[in-house]
Amino acid sequence: MSIWDRFASGWREFRKDGYYEEFDYAWTMTIDLDRCTGCGACVTACQAENNIPIVGEEQLERGREMQWIRIERYWEGEYPNAKLKFIPMLCQQCDAAPCETVCPVTATYHNQDGLNVQVYNRCIGTRSCAVYCPYTVRYFNYNDHHWDAPLEQQLNPDVTVREKGVMEKCTFCVQRIRQAKDHAKDDGRRRVRDGEVQPACVQTCPSEALVFGDRKDASSRVSKSMSDARAYRVLDELNTQPSVVYLKKVDADAD
Amino acid sequence: MQTEERQLQFTDIHNDVVRSLVVTGRKYYITLGCAIVLMLACFFFPWFYQLYYGIGAAGMNSPTVWGTYLASFIFWIGLSHSGTLLSCVLHITNSQWRKAMYRSAEAMTLFSLMVAAMMVMVHLGRPWFIHWAVPYPNQMGLWPNFRSPLLFDVMAITTYLTGSSIFIYMGSIPDFAAVRDRTAGWRHHMYVLLSLGWRGTDTEWHRLGWAYTFLAVLIIPLAVSVHSIVSWDFAMSIVPGLHQTIFAPYFVVGAIYSGTAGIVTVMFVLRKYMNFEQYITKLHFDNLGKLLLVLSLLWSYINILELFTGWYSGTSTEYEQLKYKLFGFYAPLYWEMILFCGVAPLLLISNKFRTSFVPMLLLSIAINIGMYTERFLIIATTLSRQYLPESWRVYVPSLVELSIIVGSVAMFVTLFLLFVKIFPSVSIYEVKETMKIPKRKGIPEWQATH
Amino acid sequence: MASNALGLFRDPDSALEAARRLKGAGFARPELISPIPVHGVEDVLGPKKSVIRRFTFFGGLFGALAGFALAAGTAVLYLHPTGGRPIITIPPFLIITYEMTILCGILATVLGFLISARFPAIRERVYVPEAGVDRFAVTVDCDGEERFRRAEAILREAGAETVRSISEGES
Repeated sequence: MSIWDRFASGWREFRKDGYYEEFDYAWTMTIDLDRCTGCGACVTACQAENNIPIVGEEQLERGREMQWIRIERYWEGEYPNAKLKFIPMLCQQCDAAPCETVCPVTATYHNQDGLNVQVYNRCIGTRSCAVYCPYTVRYFNYNDHHWDAPLEQQLNPDVTVREKGVMEKCTFCVQRIRQAKDHAKDDGRRRVRDGEVQPACVQTCPSEALVFGDRKDASSRVSKSMSDARAYRVLDELNTQPSVVYLKKVDADAD
Repeated sequence: MQTEERQLQFTDIHNDVVRSLVVTGRKYYITLGCAIVLMLACFFFPWFYQLYYGIGAAGMNSPTVWGTYLASFIFWIGLSHSGTLLSCVLHITNSQWRKAMYRSAEAMTLFSLMVAAMMVMVHLGRPWFIHWAVPYPNQMGLWPNFRSPLLFDVMAITTYLTGSSIFIYMGSIPDFAAVRDRTAGWRHHMYVLLSLGWRGTDTEWHRLGWAYTFLAVLIIPLAVSVHSIVSWDFAMSIVPGLHQTIFAPYFVVGAIYSGTAGIVTVMFVLRKYMNFEQYITKLHFDNLGKLLLVLSLLWSYINILELFTGWYSGTSTEYEQLKYKLFGFYAPLYWEMILFCGVAPLLLISNKFRTSFVPMLLLSIAINIGMYTERFLIIATTLSRQYLPESWRVYVPSLVELSIIVGSVAMFVTLFLLFVKIFPSVSIYEVKETMKIPKRKGIPEWQATH
Repeated sequence: MASNALGLFRDPDSALEAARRLKGAGFARPELISPIPVHGVEDVLGPKKSVIRRFTFFGGLFGALAGFALAAGTAVLYLHPTGGRPIITIPPFLIITYEMTILCGILATVLGFLISARFPAIRERVYVPEAGVDRFAVTVDCDGEERFRRAEAILREAGAETVRSISEGES
């Protein structure tokens, strides 16, 4: 295709109605804070699924954590009335993501599934996306990581291992989504059914606090979960339009 | 004393500048050698270590992903606003006192920009792919993201670098021609090439004058836009403390402020070590001091605005940021910045202070230290306190970073020392224009010496 | 044989006066060579239009169009929606346009300067080394001994320190 043809086809593509709002799938996750026990199984599952490196004690003390989903803990009050509030925080896959606009090489952009994708190969490590993210859910590889034997046998072959100098974050296990879409296509051009694809954290959560699905499908579990009266989005006032909906914990002895 | 001094002649400035280019003493070689060694040991060696190990060699961590490298980058870009911008503004307003010092000031601009570009390379996680930020056709069909503030940066700094180099070169063509006749050997050949065959005919002067004026008129809005664009790297985020509309004017004022202080430092060094006492005089320091005072008041004004609006709100994120800045972990640095940049320059009110050389030098260095601290604080305090309290974490620069800061100064000194031996560091023809010429009517009497 | 008459003056006013008289006496365009730009020379030796103006303007115009085309064109060639913002966003692209305008304006100005002042000088031209330091020189084309003597007279009248003849290509 000549350059004019490519320009014309691009022009027609984005001038279609609903290019910015309509996606093929609109992957959404709801996190029910009432059901969440703070066990951290999601963190472990994510680490196993996505080849997240173990940074080690020294690096962690310097503050270089590497957890695509983290359990945030907030203590309230003093002993014996101390209360712990926790909330799993992962990349919110914002529809109006501030991190996407600032990458100078377009290593992060919004794909047609409504996901905020991070392209490791393109990242040159300016780290401006991490500065712009108000949830601080982006993590930078400060050095090369290695896995002591036999841990390297546990690595997931569907996911790359990132070298030093690239940014990474939760992808809603895009490798699983991709695989589910492939299966659906093999089965004859049907859509991915509700419950057919689950990220590792959703799959592992013992209390089923995490629900994942396509919010374009009105009958999916996640759509029903989203319409709960307790639903809210973190830092909603910033208008980042996150795709992760939290269900507020009902605190019986709150005053 | 006055009757003993004879009037400065054209030949004096001519000889002095040629001497500064051709005669090189031992002090020069020793200084150059030290600068080069310091640059290699403190900049390149730690940088290569960081390339091998990863950005982890620096002190940055999870929320504070930016650190001294970006602060240095902004500091050097700020320093670069002195020379060319000031030179252009003073050219347009036809001021006479700029004539002796603007060549070195423009050189400062050029070299600050080069050092700033190096700091970008040091800052990147994968600097070997930096060419992806430049638009070029490639087999991937990928282009950089022109919506990104960092890309405005790339365009702006490229333009500014090109513009500054062209500006300083154009202004130097007659000087190259003047020096060409007095040198021999490789220097002569170099100046023959650089002067393009300049003879000094009225046609040539006329063309040069117009071209120079057009360049000056183009470069002034460019310089203002460059540092505004650099500030938008921060201001376009939605993180508290960074997302402020005042950043663009704040950075531009800060840049001109820090740059003018840089000029004072360079002028002192040039005057003392290149024997230009007759051309860079108390008058220059006096005027630079007045300019610095005005800029310092402007800078203090903007800081007071920030404090006032942040405090008045009472409970917003802005207020939290302010409390952290003033009383948190980095509070000593904040108060040091206020002292060096807001309080100490008030000494410039005194006429005696402005015309004494060593106090001006010390003050200018203090101002630049304060301005560097300001850039560092903008990054460190805002990134350590974002929206979610779980990710609040303090950042302390590592040895590698501190060494690279020192190395970058050494790099600047090296480049400047090399400049001083190739370019005439005081503009010969412009200084001649200010001298008393017999039977010249019409131009205001302005003495080159007191 | 074409030669030039050259008169050296200590101050620019006498040199201007000499040039004016030479022009009045019907000589081909005299040239004033000086170490500093002399104000008022345009009135004496005729106004010169600066064509550099046009270079700057068209360079800037080209830069503006090229800048916007670069930003918007590449955005459409490879569609990358980022942050819910439109593919062709005007404010950021205007900044790119602005920078390119200035860049191309600067480069065009330099080109205009080189072309209109005929730099770099490949062939040798009349050159006066004293005029590079502290003397003001007036040179004028003379063909013939008689014209030369007339020019010499005018120059001495105006106060030249020295008058000599140089041929083209000699310094």
